[in-house]
Amino acid sequence: MNLNTNLKAENTYDAIVIGSGISGGWAAKELTEKGLRVLMLERGMNIEHITGYETAMKNPWDFKHAGKLTEEQKRTHPVQKRDYPYQEANEKWWVNDLECPYTEDKRFDWYRGFHVGGKSLMWGRQSYRLSDHNFEDNARDGHGSDWPVRYAELSPWYDYAERFAGISGSKENWPTCPDGQFLPPMDLNIVEKSVKARIEEHYKRERIMMIGRVANLTVPHKGRGNCQYRNLCSRGCPFGAYFSTQSSTLPAAMATKLLTLRPYSIVNHIIYDKDTKKAKGVMVIDAETNKTMEFYAKIVFVNGSTLGSTFILLNSTSEAHPNGLGNGSGQLGHNLMDHHFRCGASGEAEGFDDKYTYGRRANGIYIPRYQNIGSDKRDYLRGFGYQGGASRANWQDDVAELSFGADLKQKMTTPGKWSMGLGGFGEMLPYYENKVYIDKTKKDKWGQPVLAIDCEYKENEKKMRVDMMNDAAEMLEKAGMKNIKTFDNGCYPGMAIHEMGTARMGNDPKTSVLNKWNQMHEVNNVFVTDGSCMPSIACQNPSLTFMALTARACDYAVKELKKKNI
Amino acid sequence: MHRREALKNVAFLLGGAISASTMGVLFESFTLPENEKNFVLYSLEDEKIFAEFADIIVPTTKSSAGAKAAGLGKFIPMMMKDCYPATMQASFAQGFKDLQAKSMKDFGKSYITLTPADRKKLMIDLRAIALAQKASKSEENKDLAYFFITARDLTLLGYYSSEIGCTKAREYVLIPGRYDGSAPLKPGQKSWAT
Repeated sequence: MNLNTNLKAENTYDAIVIGSGISGGWAAKELTEKGLRVLMLERGMNIEHITGYETAMKNPWDFKHAGKLTEEQKRTHPVQKRDYPYQEANEKWWVNDLECPYTEDKRFDWYRGFHVGGKSLMWGRQSYRLSDHNFEDNARDGHGSDWPVRYAELSPWYDYAERFAGISGSKENWPTCPDGQFLPPMDLNIVEKSVKARIEEHYKRERIMMIGRVANLTVPHKGRGNCQYRNLCSRGCPFGAYFSTQSSTLPAAMATKLLTLRPYSIVNHIIYDKDTKKAKGVMVIDAETNKTMEFYAKIVFVNGSTLGSTFILLNSTSEAHPNGLGNGSGQLGHNLMDHHFRCGASGEAEGFDDKYTYGRRANGIYIPRYQNIGSDKRDYLRGFGYQGGASRANWQDDVAELSFGADLKQKMTTPGKWSMGLGGFGEMLPYYENKVYIDKTKKDKWGQPVLAIDCEYKENEKKMRVDMMNDAAEMLEKAGMKNIKTFDNGCYPGMAIHEMGTARMGNDPKTSVLNKWNQMHEVNNVFVTDGSCMPSIACQNPSLTFMALTARACDYAVKELKKKNI
Repeated sequence: MHRREALKNVAFLLGGAISASTMGVLFESFTLPENEKNFVLYSLEDEKIFAEFADIIVPTTKSSAGAKAAGLGKFIPMMMKDCYPATMQASFAQGFKDLQAKSMKDFGKSYITLTPADRKKLMIDLRAIALAQKASKSEENKDLAYFFITARDLTLLGYYSSEIGCTKAREYVLIPGRYDGSAPLKPGQKSWAT
């Protein structure tokens, strides 16, 4: 007779965190360290730190297909295969697209990893703060809704996130890409140093170039080892030298003994209690057995990745929330954004033939946004930054020759030319009509409906791309590069794997889903702190901002819980 | 980032030496429907031919052993079977037959019994045929040209990711431990394997 009550007590926690990636890991760490009993739900398999990185210590010749995909992998991963991240060395960490289809009203490349750690294991690790220029852009030009947060409020949380995660970088005193709490920077190579000096001189430091700010440790930090310059990060780091859930937030949360981590737990929807007007828990599908179960908590943190979280919210319908949880504004699912990239320029550097590199630096250079700032005016809104770097190639020759034999071998084993490339990362404006919604005509492997995505770049992005190529070519020319070539390899939303928006923050419940604390306007014990909360995306790599927002939201949530406001 | 860097690494690994069609198969990754799969299988005898063929592309030199020692005889047909769509497998297989026919026609001997000097002569011919076919886009020698270009691509790919290619022909360090972006280039220094 008490079975059900016992079961309910067993399945009840102080907080539930949905997702174990960058923001979910942070939520678990912060909430447990503040004394809450936390259940972290992960839809995919577990991956243990170090022992789970099966390919991390493999040599190039240990891979059967020299890193390339088989026809069978291409068949089961029709989306993941569209760009380079899905590769032989970490193929297990990308989803089988046939098991979790989605509808592309327009092409959208959705890269997903279902496992503990999520994309924190495979991320690019570039870590930049947003500035007030970014937080004010929406209000300034009228696109999207105003950010309910300004830099002064977020700055201490950036400090907090950087101190724990370990971000290496240089201080530049560049207000639109603020300095932070950095570990010593990685080195620029000799060509990059020359390019930096010439660009900064020519543009009178109205444009700057720096080493990338990256979540790789340059010195040991909080029990983790420093970077070994292998540049194999996306296989998992046995030295714990880059920030991931496994290397950083999960051990901290586990140390409290207050965390329960449950892999293979797909959250189907959040259960809404119409009497209390709060979420009372979540309904979970066990990914291995397909059995459903419920878990309960006082607060729910939604950290299932931008589109994963929005799917759960859209799928959490009730009489009070017929169009998705907390969607009175009608904004849930709208304003989807991603960075646009894959265009820029490259050139050859002469005069450095007596220099080479040692080690494989898992980082490049960064040129923060300078367009539409101060006296720089463009015929489009917002702007872009550049990532890239110089390196000395193994060998370059034209395929047209089709040569073979000892001479070719000699060439291919001798250091070739130095070259320097710059690739733009551009801001995309928030457009209401770029949206996702639930498509009930298809089902995934677990019987759930799927997401439909209807998103495209528009004129502002297209205009910006022209400058992303031409500015790069111009800077390389001023830096003395030769044989400069521009490129635009084309880009579709999703490719940057920086998808954001669809559950935006704002001060007005009529036009936004979340308030300034990432708390749902309409359901005050639900917090959403992954990329879905972003009212605009700037052009900087976003994960550091998710970390800072998550830590700040956890602090607020626990205070409110203690005040019994939640 | 590392998007850019990774793309560049791929380009550097292949060095622009690899043909557009191989880039297409390996990177753009188009796939045929299941029912169009038609794996062509190769025998142990065939593997010996691939080994000798690859060894002309990347021969043994003073510094290091060549493609045959690096296991390319098995690597090429394995990659063809696992990583290429059916129509390309069929064209490659036909080109492989054409190679053997050409050996009989030009030298009166099977490919495997040719002397290294004759194999090199044959390869010079194949290269000329492939360049001409690429320029003319003619149907004649289409499969032979595809075979030559693709087998050459796979030889370079396989050799420079093999243990011999990485550690003997090039230089390889599993754990560099540090980065020096201004290291002096020593005389005779080999390029890094990655």
